[in-house]
Amino acid sequence: MAAILEAQAPMRAGTLLRERTRRTLLVWCFLVPSLAIFLIYRIIPLAWNVILSFEYWTPLRPAEFAGLDHYQDLLDDEVFWQALWNTVMVIASAPIGIAIALALALLVNSDIRGRDVYRTIIFLSYPLMTVAVAIIWRWMFDERVGLINYTARLLNLIDKPIPFLNSFTFALPSVIAANIWQMLGFYMIILLTGLQNIPHELHEAAAIDGASLWQRFWRITLPLLRPSVFLAFVIGMLNSVTSFDLVYVMTGGGPGRATEILVTYIYKLGFGQTKFDYAAAVTVVFFVLLIGIAWGANRLSGGDAGAVDTQ
Amino acid sequence: MDRRTVLKAALAGAGSLAAPAYLRAQSAKKLSLLTWNIADQQALFAQEFAEFKAANPGVEIEWLDKKGPDLPAFYQTQIVAGTPPDIVDLQGAIWVQYAADGGLVDLTPYLKNEPEIAKRFNPDYLGGWAYQGKTYLLPFYVAKTLLFYNKTMFKEAGLEGPPQSFDDILGFAQKMAKGEKTGFLTLNFDWLYWPLFKMNGVELLSTDGKKAAFNTPQTVDLLGRLAKATDAGGINKIAWTGRWVEPNGAFASGTVGMLHAHSASYFFVKGQGPWINGETLGATQVPGFWSTPTNHGFAISKGSKNPDLAWSFIKHMTSDKSALTFFKSRSVLTANIAADTEGLAALEKSEPLAAAVLRTQIEHTDKLTGNWPLPYDAELKDALWPEIQNAVLGRKDARTALSDAERNVNRLLARKG
Repeated sequence: MAAILEAQAPMRAGTLLRERTRRTLLVWCFLVPSLAIFLIYRIIPLAWNVILSFEYWTPLRPAEFAGLDHYQDLLDDEVFWQALWNTVMVIASAPIGIAIALALALLVNSDIRGRDVYRTIIFLSYPLMTVAVAIIWRWMFDERVGLINYTARLLNLIDKPIPFLNSFTFALPSVIAANIWQMLGFYMIILLTGLQNIPHELHEAAAIDGASLWQRFWRITLPLLRPSVFLAFVIGMLNSVTSFDLVYVMTGGGPGRATEILVTYIYKLGFGQTKFDYAAAVTVVFFVLLIGIAWGANRLSGGDAGAVDTQ
Repeated sequence: MDRRTVLKAALAGAGSLAAPAYLRAQSAKKLSLLTWNIADQQALFAQEFAEFKAANPGVEIEWLDKKGPDLPAFYQTQIVAGTPPDIVDLQGAIWVQYAADGGLVDLTPYLKNEPEIAKRFNPDYLGGWAYQGKTYLLPFYVAKTLLFYNKTMFKEAGLEGPPQSFDDILGFAQKMAKGEKTGFLTLNFDWLYWPLFKMNGVELLSTDGKKAAFNTPQTVDLLGRLAKATDAGGINKIAWTGRWVEPNGAFASGTVGMLHAHSASYFFVKGQGPWINGETLGATQVPGFWSTPTNHGFAISKGSKNPDLAWSFIKHMTSDKSALTFFKSRSVLTANIAADTEGLAALEKSEPLAAAVLRTQIEHTDKLTGNWPLPYDAELKDALWPEIQNAVLGRKDARTALSDAERNVNRLLARKG
């Protein structure tokens, strides 16, 4: 019997190996199409972009090695620094949107009447085309016929209309406001999901122990919401800083460079001035910035974003 | 029917379908045309293409139209892909870079062989398409800046007639500024504001083009005066911060006394402003008669497989007959002398106000400015304009702004050699 079992062992091992190989092949068959798309549309363009940032190149001339010239030009480029600053401002505004969305999420997570309707209404802004959002808000902020100026004058808050999108002071906050409005629904859904995953027993136990509403929020809700907040922040940040269409349609980056962000500047360098090589250098810096922010946000939220529970 | 017969019939059928396609591919020549935001001319172009095809059997024409901001991006991606359109309608100074990089066909030999073609056009407008002694485009349609003025606001302010000097512009503007009303607006993209500088003796670059020449006491004084007028409300701030819709819309609302813009603005403001008619709107040259053109021209891409055919096509599209038809369809000047003369005569009877506006476009064409043939035009604008904005909006004093602008421009010029 033992001999029979022993004779069968290599066969079983062989079968197991073939089974494992087949499963691995099957997994790769499913992965390869997505990986191919990722390679062709992400990795290769990224690699080419990095190479281009070290070359002199235009569509009508062959490439020449430029070394670090473009990166040196960046240091003296006032527009780059202005665009970088504006981009940082846009990123820094994401927490404002998240805070508002958290308040809304807490509201629609409570037992208020019609909360499903409110959830839908708040979410509606997110699926709208960004170009449509930009056009709507451009008209809302318009100096002559905009709703905001009209309402403010009606309420005697101002005596002269404010040229929001033509003002160096108000243009960027106006664009940020439009961006936050569009992202509110998305943030709310993420945070609502996080809220609903917090066990009720924790709140009940804390309430029994005499914790106030604020204490329960600060000590239980917020810490347990960290992964959701991180997710909302990263996705919201990426969406905001790559929101080319919102800025382009609302202000075109103006007045002056007041609302120029890195992505609009990159576009203008490439397609307005045909400086694809220099635009590539700006893109590399932009990429490093985004990676840095995502890493920092991951560390602040506990450092386990993207981790898979293999238990 | 047996199987062999069916098979023979199928092969014969396939062959008969394929043969014309094969023959078409051999005999058909295809021209592709890329135009800039004139998709509304479909009916007219269909007629033009039909006439060209009748004169050139076997030619197919593919027409693409792109909106203003999209065309350069599209054209450049087509160049990189190796499939640039044969003929491209270009506007502003972007063509100079393409010409400098060898992306456009030099039309000079064609014009030398057929001198009657050059004679069709206003020489000042045709000359605007030359770079380093070579002509790269034929004029398609043209516009240049002029001064529109609100006669009602002028009357209310006790002003007779349009301004005759720069001092008048500022003085009149201040007189008309009351409450929400302002006195003066200018468009500012593509150097359209430059006549204000030129009339005050400001030059952009030195004669050899190697250094900035605008940082002078006159320019400091000019910027100071513009800043003061803007701060006092005489000049509407949108002059320096708006692009197209905002300044034209503001003038159309009837609250701005003067608008310095190109003739294309007339049709926009007329559509938006119900107050506009021959009694209420005036159109004249700016003092000194300087103006900045914003012209469109046809160029042939270097990558074209049929440059001679493309040349025939652009000759056809800019012929007296085609130009006149285009003038009548779009009420726009074409730089074709015969077409513009006849077109204006007809327009005088049907729309005298439009005719008065367009007539300014063929006057003083020897005083065009802001149209330097520089391959780095976009970068130069970027180096200068933000500092001018800073000065006129009071964010920097004029002297500092001009020094910063001079530094930016000289750095750019040094890099370009």
